[in-house]
Amino acid sequence: MSIASQGAPRWRALLPLLAGIGLLTAVSVAACRSQPAEPFGSPAVTVVASSEPPAATAPVRVRKGSVPTGEAETPPARLRIGALDLDAAVAPVGIDAKTGDFAVPPSVDRVGWYRFGPGFAATAGSIVIAGHVDSADQGEGAFFRLGRLARDDKITLSDPSGATREFRVVARERYAKSSIPLDRYFARDGSVRLTLITCGGPFDARTRHYRDNVVVTAEPVPAG
Amino acid sequence: MRITKLRRLATAGALSLVAVGGAVALSATPAFAASSQVSVVHGIPGQPVDVYVNGKRTLENFQPGDVAGPLSLAEGDYDIALTKPGEEIDQAILKVDNAAVPGGANISLVAHLSAQGDPKITPFVNDTSKLDPGQARLIVRHTAAAPAVDVRAGGKPVFEDLTNPNEAKADLAAGTVSADVVLAGTDTVVLGPTDLNLKEGTATIVYAIGSAENDTLDVVAQTIDGLHSSPGGVPSGSGGRADAGLAAGWYAVAAMGLLFLAAGTRRLAVR
Repeated sequence: MSIASQGAPRWRALLPLLAGIGLLTAVSVAACRSQPAEPFGSPAVTVVASSEPPAATAPVRVRKGSVPTGEAETPPARLRIGALDLDAAVAPVGIDAKTGDFAVPPSVDRVGWYRFGPGFAATAGSIVIAGHVDSADQGEGAFFRLGRLARDDKITLSDPSGATREFRVVARERYAKSSIPLDRYFARDGSVRLTLITCGGPFDARTRHYRDNVVVTAEPVPAG
Repeated sequence: MRITKLRRLATAGALSLVAVGGAVALSATPAFAASSQVSVVHGIPGQPVDVYVNGKRTLENFQPGDVAGPLSLAEGDYDIALTKPGEEIDQAILKVDNAAVPGGANISLVAHLSAQGDPKITPFVNDTSKLDPGQARLIVRHTAAAPAVDVRAGGKPVFEDLTNPNEAKADLAAGTVSADVVLAGTDTVVLGPTDLNLKEGTATIVYAIGSAENDTLDVVAQTIDGLHSSPGGVPSGSGGRADAGLAAGWYAVAAMGLLFLAAGTRRLAVR
């Protein structure tokens, strides 16, 4: 009798203890999972020695001094990333005249290709595509999950005629916007690569800006 | 007859080349850069030439309207001679001795006609400073036997009263402009209109060449790329949903867990 009356309250005291431990465990798991994924890789860029002084014996290059016509780069039209279930329209964009920044398309489900740099058919340099991670009024953007891409994930770029070019992820990096080496990502020489850029890291609710840029670099997959 | 005139002019050409070279040497050039990029522009209509540098034939049968180079020349003095194709250097039709090439510069050597129609060589130092993102540089050089001109873009004068052998330049938004050349202060078009595709991050140099009197006015263009710079930044998020921190709901769960723990411990302690 007395043993039974002592056992019940003890058991009742254990319940909230166990519940508390369970809830805190769940929170810990969530906290761990929400940590940003570790960066990996670094873009393997073999920079072509540009404008190497020609050997004394090499013939001098001679061109017609014709007025330059617009041999424009082929714009990429769509970007597909199977791992993210992403299939986004690509808009050619330039520079925001007011800020001097990359003019990322305002619509968050489109991404923007930097039209002054290498294009779809590039044989050298970095093809740069940037997209919103999210926006205050439109919600999640096309590149919301860009930071979850893993090594060797496939990326397919297609041009307006439907021709495609395959890339595979070799690096994913995160930089404070104040220290990101943009010249490397916007280089027009060196080996061909696809560079995807969005925002990430801590968000400053007052300025409505993220602190960081997330950058994914992918290399062309040799055809066949 | 023309050849004698050319020889007579050679001395004057040499002097002007040395003068400009000296001016460049005085301006701030990086100390480490010992060599210069030198392009050669042929702006004399009707006379293909061989180009000799320090007595060595460097360009053969170089055609009017063509642009050669760039050659990488170490800082120093150079003898430059132009001959008719296949002729020996001692029969040069235009000759410049001891032309000073400064270090670390980008230079265009232009064989062209003076305002009066005499052949000469003028060196121009090309502005290869970096452009702002989205911008292109337009440089216009008057190297024709013609009076002062205005250069118009989209019908509006952008460079006024340009004379031989001078240049005018501007950094513009990249894109296509329709340009023409008129006699200064008039609407008399002498060249164009021509659509110029000004590519971002490049300098487009347009030379007016030939002779107005002989009706051989034309344009030659040279481009220098690699002057681009990166965008200032890539702003691509304003929602805050991708902040790596915990969602607010989890903090409530954690608080509840702590409460349960406290309540359970207290019950045990009361016993």
